[in-house]
Amino acid sequence: MLLAFEDSHKEHLSFLVDLDPEVLNEFGLISMNFIRKGTNPKVFQGAAQKLGVPVETVQNGVEGLMFLLTESCKYMLSEIDFQDSVMTLGFGEETRATLLGLYTENQREVRSILQEMSMELPHYRDLEWRFDMQLASRSLRHQMVPSVLLRLVTEDEGEKKTTMLETDPVNLVHMTRVLETALQEMKSGYCRRIARNIK
Amino acid sequence: MELGASVLENISLAGDVAHIPDKLFGKFLMCACQGVLLEKHRDAVADNPAFKDLEKATLKSAYSGLVTLILEAAKHDTTEQSISTLLEECKYTPERIKEFTKIFTAQKSHIQLLLGKIGSSFPHIVDVDWRLDYYMKNNHMEKVNSAVYLISLKTEIPGEADTRDIQFSCSLEQLQDLVGKLRDATKCLEKIAQV
Repeated sequence: MLLAFEDSHKEHLSFLVDLDPEVLNEFGLISMNFIRKGTNPKVFQGAAQKLGVPVETVQNGVEGLMFLLTESCKYMLSEIDFQDSVMTLGFGEETRATLLGLYTENQREVRSILQEMSMELPHYRDLEWRFDMQLASRSLRHQMVPSVLLRLVTEDEGEKKTTMLETDPVNLVHMTRVLETALQEMKSGYCRRIARNIK
Repeated sequence: MELGASVLENISLAGDVAHIPDKLFGKFLMCACQGVLLEKHRDAVADNPAFKDLEKATLKSAYSGLVTLILEAAKHDTTEQSISTLLEECKYTPERIKEFTKIFTAQKSHIQLLLGKIGSSFPHIVDVDWRLDYYMKNNHMEKVNSAVYLISLKTEIPGEADTRDIQFSCSLEQLQDLVGKLRDATKCLEKIAQV
């Protein structure tokens, strides 16, 4: 698939079309930095002075490039689709190669940054278990009750949460079996077929 | 098992023919056992017409003595021999000792079961539900395409009627990790059981 650009986005990127591949690469590095850490207006001023253009033009260019990168990563464009999309903006062969290099090099990182921004469910982190034998309590001596203590660590929005749980051997075996069937299910023909067909 | 002087006094009271006639002793002891076991029988002695001729204060003291003895004996799993010795010291006749042992031994395991349930514990896992989703995309990203399991652990909490759910999600790898650890624990238990 090709990216569809809005007119304003095209206009912002048009400033980059005539740049030297080296300068364009510099812009690319700045964009990646901003995607990682957020924008820093001081950088725009410096670059604008060097190139002798208005600060706004530089800012639009960098932000346009950031948007181009994140959109391409969002749709996981193939290399050919990326090049074709960029070609419609009027980039020449050399600058196209520069942009492609930037895209392929950083695709994984941008995807993982996007993943972090996505909605997350509380998810599993770690489980620790220990096996105890209850021997006595205040109300009853001479006991022999096996118990399995579990410490479940889950994570939600980067925050870890620890839950103490307990179970008996019968339920432990039961729970293990049930979750084993759950794992097997992903290997079933039905699930594999669906996974294969969703592209 | 050690009992205080006042408790011993109350136990003696229950064994005294002058206060509790022989034919009522068995019934009285059964009432005490039931009172320990079932909440609704807790006041059975007061309402029971069989005991209406007995003096209320004595009945109450005797009842508390027997209940304490039953609970302490069950708690420490006291031997019949020790109970007999104790009852002898409280001036019980051999017949009454025999009757006590017979009725108490029959109820002991139930009482111990009940005593074993008292106490605190962490939420106890009794079941687990799972659901398998295929995560396709979100507003920031297309083609996420990975399996996500939603796991819900059903737990019982001591003193609460309802079960409580603990929910979390797992990727395929995370579930493999979880199941691997549970399998380890199961294997370890099996090994211990064989010894």
